[in-house]
Amino acid sequence: MLIGLIISIPLILSVISLVFRKEKALGIVNAFGYCMLLLVCALFVKSFLASSQMRLSLWDWLYVDSLSVFFMVTTIIVAFAASIYSVGYIEEEVKEGKVTLRKAKGYYFLFNLFCFVMLLVIVLNNLALVWIAIEMTTLVSAFLVGFYNAKESIEAAWKYIIICSVGITFALLGIIFFYYTSSTHAGVKSLQWLKMLNGAHLFDPKVVKIALVFIFVGYGTKAGFAPMHNWLPDAHSQALSPISGLLSGVLLKISLYAILRFVMLANPSVGYAFSAKLFILFGLCSLAIAAGFIIVQKDLKRLLAYSSVEHMGVISVGLGLGAAGGIYAALFHVFNHAVTKAFMFFCAGNAVRAYRTNNMNKMQGMIQLIPFAGTAIFLGAFALGGLPPFSIFMSEVLILIAGFVSKQYFVSALMLIFLAVAFAGLVHHISKIALGSKSQSMARQKETLSTKIALLFLGIFILGLGLKIPYPLFSLLSNCQKLILAQ
Amino acid sequence: MVSAFLLSGFLITAFLMTIAKRITALIRTFRLQSLFLFLYALTMAVAGKHIELFVICVSILILKVGIIPYVLARIVRRINVEEDLGLIMNPQISLIIALLLSYFSYIFAHQIIPKALAVELATFVVSIAAICISFFIMVSRMKALSQVLGLLAMENGIFLAAVAITGGMPFFVEIAFSFDIFVFVIIIQVFVYRVNRLFTHIDTSKINSLKG
Repeated sequence: MLIGLIISIPLILSVISLVFRKEKALGIVNAFGYCMLLLVCALFVKSFLASSQMRLSLWDWLYVDSLSVFFMVTTIIVAFAASIYSVGYIEEEVKEGKVTLRKAKGYYFLFNLFCFVMLLVIVLNNLALVWIAIEMTTLVSAFLVGFYNAKESIEAAWKYIIICSVGITFALLGIIFFYYTSSTHAGVKSLQWLKMLNGAHLFDPKVVKIALVFIFVGYGTKAGFAPMHNWLPDAHSQALSPISGLLSGVLLKISLYAILRFVMLANPSVGYAFSAKLFILFGLCSLAIAAGFIIVQKDLKRLLAYSSVEHMGVISVGLGLGAAGGIYAALFHVFNHAVTKAFMFFCAGNAVRAYRTNNMNKMQGMIQLIPFAGTAIFLGAFALGGLPPFSIFMSEVLILIAGFVSKQYFVSALMLIFLAVAFAGLVHHISKIALGSKSQSMARQKETLSTKIALLFLGIFILGLGLKIPYPLFSLLSNCQKLILAQ
Repeated sequence: MVSAFLLSGFLITAFLMTIAKRITALIRTFRLQSLFLFLYALTMAVAGKHIELFVICVSILILKVGIIPYVLARIVRRINVEEDLGLIMNPQISLIIALLLSYFSYIFAHQIIPKALAVELATFVVSIAAICISFFIMVSRMKALSQVLGLLAMENGIFLAAVAITGGMPFFVEIAFSFDIFVFVIIIQVFVYRVNRLFTHIDTSKINSLKG
């Protein structure tokens, strides 16, 4: 029952957003709604962890196991932070006249619809419906990318729709191949994931391998894997900052979740080793390309977008290092990157508002101009780069340990080099804009309370998980690893 | 016999798309291809006596032969697109590439379903070839609308592939896909108008301010 409530809250909120008269009241109601969502989710996780079988199937259509719960928690936490951040962000935009009241309503409507389809991807059992839900995430968020109707944002939205739709069309071909082998070789004439899994050991390995490549290319396009990533820096930099946080923090991982579902189907027939190779291939490719672009970047939000490509690479390599705790570490990194990247995009949103430009050459002395967000972005750069007290350090070290334990020295060494390059680039750029003194003509600016709360909320996770992994998260992640390796 | 005719029709329309020089011709060819797809699905429905397949046929007829080409043609009329498609390669070379792609599709199809019946194999080869050719059209044409048409033609090919190797996906899945394509076209329409208003053209090779 709780699961039904979780899905319906964003849907209800999207309807509510159409009736309000004032954007601030609307924002507060919205944030309150997500607070409720967070509570319901916490209750659900509690009862889920207490139940013995750790899986839940409702009327054949919804299916929830540890993996879905983990991604659901990640999504809801970031969405909650984004909803708080939006209150102040949209209020300021309306004040400055960049956004009309009508558009503000539209924003909240789309925001909720976007969260709704993302949650839908996670809980649906039918692979075709998951495909449709993922396509819907593209179509809904395209409006949020092209929200300002400026030349750049429309260009980004157009690229985003076309490239992701093509990608996902390849994924559809992969689904058809899976359905083919499932219906002819295993006799399961259905696309329900759970039913297909029962016959998965009878799948034809050759077909499964080809299908899996299509799935990786298709959903990988949406997950921001490297040769198919060109839409990502455009879309993530042109979207509104709270949405950039959601796109980078959550949406990329949602596509990864879809890939993992197919990997689990493929395991019984071709084994995890095949998927692991694909993960490592795409992961290293993403790391290499992103590291290069991070060094030469001039645009703050594009810098963060490329850093997302880099971290998707880290996650992918971690999944590829599989057996020796790599999956555990990679999924832990999924969460850490989601909160840290949302945190950074929120800071960047404040910076872009204060300086009225994305160009990092024109930003200086951010700590003086907007002390709170300035300090946050400075610390965040170290967190994102992977320095010790922060959570990303933990997951990256765990991934590297997995690499060395499984004797993948070459892969681990390459990853380490790319991480070092990306770290250097990131810290160089961010310290240049955060430190120094602001230009004389600019006065110190006020920061809205809601953005501070959002940053503090995410900061707790960034720092807290770097010090200690709480037991519920630990058991959830180890369960996910067991599920994926089918142990 | 009939299905062989329809299949070759489907493939020929894919080739026609590669040599189409004007956007209106491209839309007409897409409509023709959808018509072949509809007829092929209809023969399958008659042969198999599936009520569900009939419903799917009707949805193809309404959506892909009717609404989508109509919407696209209306966009062309409204925004006065230049007729020229902005080919990167001339039609002759495009045609040769399309031929090569179909040959590779044949080899690929053999790998996937080696023991299939001749008809099944032929259908599968045609569908894969159509998907590859449509993808090629997408990447080698510079107008926004031709990219959309390439994508829609790809979906046609995928539909045929589903019919070929699985005898059609589950019913509600097909309906959901149709709905998805419908939503896609509606949203694309919104964005084409916006692109046109802001840039006063829809030539994607000239829309390139975001780099690096």
